[in-house]
Amino acid sequence: MSEAHEILEVSGLSVDYVLDRGDVRAVDDVSFTLNRGEFLGIVGESGCGKSTLLFAVAQLLAPPARVAAGSVAFEGTNLVGLTDKQLSAIRWRDMSVVMQSAMNALNPVKSIGAQFKDAMKAHGKPSNEEIQARSAEVLRMVGIDPVHLKSYPHQLSGGMRQRSMIAMAMLFTPDLIIMDEPTSALDVVAQRSLMVQIKELQLSYGFAVIFVTHDMSLISHFSDRLMVMYAGQVDELGATRTVFDRPLHPYTQGLLEAFPSIRGPKVPLKGIPGSPPDLARLPSGCRFHPRCPLAVERCTQVAPDLYEVDQALVRCLRRQDGSLPLEAGQEGSLSR
Amino acid sequence: MSELLRAEHLTRHFKIGGALSRRTLHAVDDVNFSIGDREIVALAGESGSGKSTIARLLARIYSPTSGEMYFQGQPVSALRSRSDRLRYSGLVPMVFQDPFGSMNPVFRVQHGVLRSLKLHRPELSGQQRQDEAARVFDVVGLGADMLERFPFELSGGQRQRVGFAQALAMRPKLILADEPVSMLDVSIRIGLLNLMVELRDTMGVSVLYITHDIASARYVADRLIVMYAGQIAETGPIEDVLASPRHPYTQLLVSAVPDPRAPLSVAAETDRGEPPKVIDPSPGCRFRWRCPLAIDTCAQVTPALAELEPHHQTACHVAQAQPEGAEPVQAFS
Repeated sequence: MSEAHEILEVSGLSVDYVLDRGDVRAVDDVSFTLNRGEFLGIVGESGCGKSTLLFAVAQLLAPPARVAAGSVAFEGTNLVGLTDKQLSAIRWRDMSVVMQSAMNALNPVKSIGAQFKDAMKAHGKPSNEEIQARSAEVLRMVGIDPVHLKSYPHQLSGGMRQRSMIAMAMLFTPDLIIMDEPTSALDVVAQRSLMVQIKELQLSYGFAVIFVTHDMSLISHFSDRLMVMYAGQVDELGATRTVFDRPLHPYTQGLLEAFPSIRGPKVPLKGIPGSPPDLARLPSGCRFHPRCPLAVERCTQVAPDLYEVDQALVRCLRRQDGSLPLEAGQEGSLSR
Repeated sequence: MSELLRAEHLTRHFKIGGALSRRTLHAVDDVNFSIGDREIVALAGESGSGKSTIARLLARIYSPTSGEMYFQGQPVSALRSRSDRLRYSGLVPMVFQDPFGSMNPVFRVQHGVLRSLKLHRPELSGQQRQDEAARVFDVVGLGADMLERFPFELSGGQRQRVGFAQALAMRPKLILADEPVSMLDVSIRIGLLNLMVELRDTMGVSVLYITHDIASARYVADRLIVMYAGQIAETGPIEDVLASPRHPYTQLLVSAVPDPRAPLSVAAETDRGEPPKVIDPSPGCRFRWRCPLAIDTCAQVTPALAELEPHHQTACHVAQAQPEGAEPVQAFS
């Protein structure tokens, strides 16, 4: 664990939903890598494919969704195409998932301890003492008194349920924990304390995190790198601080300008007009152009690639080769 | 600013457990506040603090255990006849949190608007109702073609606009908006918040904006009420309260707001307190278990709101004991 090296390499990953009215591509040609101990944030609006991407990485997709192309290499093994038996050796031991709603993810008729026991017994033959000791240990790690091993999910508060889900994900100290909006059901105070705790655990145990959220401000202080998704594609990928300080894509800029601030002068905000496209009927050219304040004629015709700008990747024609100016209005932008 | 609605000693308890149980949940306890004409009041607090119960009391979905609400000077409990009650619910409509659950999926979206027009403004003819529906849709920024759509054809933001259109059709004085944007994507929240401000400015509607998002409250509201465990912890003009929060809970709330513009830092002190017990609470401050500043008095006497700064009231023994003009104590920063 001394040197940073990749534990996850996703390349060219596409996921289709196979429907009667034709296939819908929810994740389109997504590539990224994740280093050991790194915290990657993925943000985007509902329907942008971020949860589908997570499910594809964890190989939890169920029909009608299927991986159409690409690979997910986890510690050198391509997970796409592995059988369930092969996957179950990896799942939870090396890679675990924390779902959005702990109330639905935990079994309501089993105590927390019994659920921990199930997970441990699925990977080996630990003795009862080992199970007890490890379960108590992980609960203590997330700041819950081990007496709650005997509690049922409904006896815990929302924050405690989410924390016990995280404890469960850490039973085997995996190398990667995937989190799908684990804080979205909590109020700001509980949200903040859970984020701080995840970060502390990550720093002490060195696991990597993929954290999906629609709330960009939430991870601004916690993630190392940030990936912004729009309509199934990566729009921007870069170091978190860089993305916040100097967002390159008009969509990212719009997202950042959509947050009212609690400090400083009150400024009128606009948000992003319109709504995300229907993935079955994508606009021509750049997928963001109908909502983009900077769009020009060419954006409606040419689909942009990901261009590298100062170690960040951005999918915007303005960053392609400098043939388009970076500001609006210099070249007769589309009037709307 | 004249007063539109006033709540006095508003209290709502719920009996919980079986028939023989004597336990009561104090959802709202002895709450006093008022809402002025053309005013957006934000009601903030964590889940379970009683903010939705207040909205439901104001909407007459629940009746108060004790206390009274006065609307335009008239006691709300005195509204007995069907016509009086209809008039009140037309003047004080509610917009719900979940834009997916609050619309009937088998009817076109105009259905709700037309029905409430028929119920609340029976003097209109069928054509006038259609025209009025088109007008309110236009006010909330939806095209007239939207009237014919079904809910599944609309995005979350559009559905919430339909919710506001439905409320507006009744020519309301006060809209009770219970977390209207919390289920929407960040990029479209601002549009709804701007709409609330616009309704206040152009149509003179007051809004009770219920939220746990302090930053969005600051963006739209004139005044802030912070609830904790069924009681008001702090209230005042929103800029004053957020600039110098005096109650430790407000300080915690303000410090927990993620601010991407702030420099990178992970706060050292974090609160891991659990929600307060509101079932058969004993006297004393309900925040004392989480409060780093709690003193002996806090465990014995329930603090009452006191005006520590102009129009800015705080229910905290420690803040109230401070000499005037002293720098406010910070429990969380």
